[in-house]
Amino acid sequence: MVETNLVLLFVVDLVAVFAAYLTVTSSLNMEFGYTGIPDFGKVLSFAAGAFAAGFLPGRLLEQLFGLDRGIQAYANNKILADCVTEFSFRKPEVLQGLKYVEDNVAVTTCLTRVLQNDPLLSLSVVVLTVAFAGGIGAVLGFVASYPAIRLREDYLAMTLLAMAEVVNVVGYNYPEIAGGTLGVAVPDPYAWVGGGRRFLVATIALAIMAVMAYVYMRRVSSSPFGRVMKAVRDGEVAAEALGKDVVKIRQKVLVVSSAVAATGGALWAFYAGGVIATAYDRVTWTFWPWVMVIMGGAANNLGVVLGTGIFVASRKLIDFYKFSLEPVLPFSVVWVDRLALGIVLIIMLIARPQGILAEKPSMTLKKEKILSIISRAKEKARPPNNQ
Amino acid sequence: MAIEPIFRDAIVFASLLSLLSVGLTLTYLVTKVPNFAHGTIASIGIYVTLTSTELLQSDPYEFLPAAFLLGGCANLILYFVAIRPLNRRGAGLVSLMVATIAYDLVLVASLNMYADYLTKTFKIASRDFILRKHDLVLLGQPGVFLTAPVIAVVLVVVLYVFLTKTRFGVAMRAAIEDMALAGVLGINVRRVYVVSWFLAGGLGGLAGAMLGLWFQSDPGYGQRVLISIFAASVVGGLANIYGGMIGGLLVGLAEILGTNWLGGILGTWVFPYRAIIPLLAMVIALLLAPKGITGVKWSQAIRKVVGR
Repeated sequence: MVETNLVLLFVVDLVAVFAAYLTVTSSLNMEFGYTGIPDFGKVLSFAAGAFAAGFLPGRLLEQLFGLDRGIQAYANNKILADCVTEFSFRKPEVLQGLKYVEDNVAVTTCLTRVLQNDPLLSLSVVVLTVAFAGGIGAVLGFVASYPAIRLREDYLAMTLLAMAEVVNVVGYNYPEIAGGTLGVAVPDPYAWVGGGRRFLVATIALAIMAVMAYVYMRRVSSSPFGRVMKAVRDGEVAAEALGKDVVKIRQKVLVVSSAVAATGGALWAFYAGGVIATAYDRVTWTFWPWVMVIMGGAANNLGVVLGTGIFVASRKLIDFYKFSLEPVLPFSVVWVDRLALGIVLIIMLIARPQGILAEKPSMTLKKEKILSIISRAKEKARPPNNQ
Repeated sequence: MAIEPIFRDAIVFASLLSLLSVGLTLTYLVTKVPNFAHGTIASIGIYVTLTSTELLQSDPYEFLPAAFLLGGCANLILYFVAIRPLNRRGAGLVSLMVATIAYDLVLVASLNMYADYLTKTFKIASRDFILRKHDLVLLGQPGVFLTAPVIAVVLVVVLYVFLTKTRFGVAMRAAIEDMALAGVLGINVRRVYVVSWFLAGGLGGLAGAMLGLWFQSDPGYGQRVLISIFAASVVGGLANIYGGMIGGLLVGLAEILGTNWLGGILGTWVFPYRAIIPLLAMVIALLLAPKGITGVKWSQAIRKVVGR
């Protein structure tokens, strides 16, 4: 029984990580694969989404229940009153009002207890936070790329990288956003399902988001706009000559894909139960997604899913086994891991730049449909007196 | 002579940053790809200084050529292993940039391994170290405070003479202007690539070696400085190496003095946000003068501001 539980937990975790990365890689595929935007600041939108989850729901519920105003404000709410009284044994000042970042443990514990008994409120918290995160992501996608959106890709790459780095610095040093160096816990909106099942529900939420991101990416890529994106990537001047506003298309893609990645970030923060700025670094949330997309096959939707899956699964394996190497080596095995990853990517770029599944021509209409259109056109073209 | 410590920081950082952005601009000019590993080339220099002082107990200045050589070789490896094969295959700009990022990861990992090795085997503090005590004292000043600007100026003068007065330098400029035409005229374009990448890496390694003598360092130092290098190069315009020099000086001074000034007004909480200043410099440059400081037609700009 214990073993099946462990296996289940392992699988659930794997799926959650996979789904979180899929939101990132799908959006990166839209940017880099289809439109040719070198988003070296991918971590920016994902982290922004996570920070949004660390920032908004706790504060909002705190205001809603009056946790910051002292115990009189919520005296008739038995769960909250009991919970805060419990914490007041350790720190009497909490009865006068809680501070979100400073008394984060107390705030989130008490709010989680409230949410535990209120599935509807929990659900609205998730929806609201995801929407807020998406909005933040969209705004950041626009702002971060604005200075360089009209210039060559390399300027855009440098700017996005710098922007992402600065957002990380701010998240790390400004505790009001997401607790800074210590991070914050997030009130658990999945607590109402009870016990360990919350991870399952959190994973399902992530998976729904990932599937939506994937389906969206598929639809866009086979739509007329998908072809325009490819035109921007392959022939900027030609696209412009045909009346397409290249800058606006790039902006649109960046805004949408940053929003998608940010929603993934918010759901990931709910899954993990907290946010800490150091977890959102350049390697884990910018570089790894790039490896996944390039490995799977840029501009091939299925390839990106495959790349993400292979990468996440092999990461699990590596994490599982790598520490058995630790005593043998004179240095931390983490670096062997990163070294190997860098080398693999360079080899990949040279030996198989198209990835495992190469890009295919855009999907066209079904053959029967094309034939029927042609025959209808012929019908019309035929002169009426011809028997 | 008493000098405010902050001015020392500013002078050392600004002159070394200009060496770094000259290097980045040089490789950008020949290959048209920004080298995302350029910051970590400086980290290599830092670890050369650490090794020479803490492990070998010798004069860090004797090892400056070694830092130059190692930095240059690291950049050459990137060129031969990734840039040239990719260019041959007609890979796009984005693939080239991704390759430099991947190489950056490799370099950072290697430096971290080396740092772990130093600590485990020789019990040397190899992260968050400060090596100022190993520096010389020149004219009552810490050595690097004088040598950094002097070396920066000398190197740029040497580079100027090399590019304008020597045969190979002129050939190099011709190749930068128009690779195909230069090749037709019998200039060995491939050698131009190799020399540029080596020189750029060398300058990076040298700058890193001296940065390590002054600032607190760790293997990730270069990655953090990368934003400043990009900002400096963009401010300089990425169009000629003198632009890189000027951009480096401007951004370096603005970063250190600006943070200090804001810290004085707003309080010390400002200091961790130092990275915002190069970012702002970059954004302003991109919005107002995307061709950089050397691309601005100053007389026109002044006329515009002053009014006809």
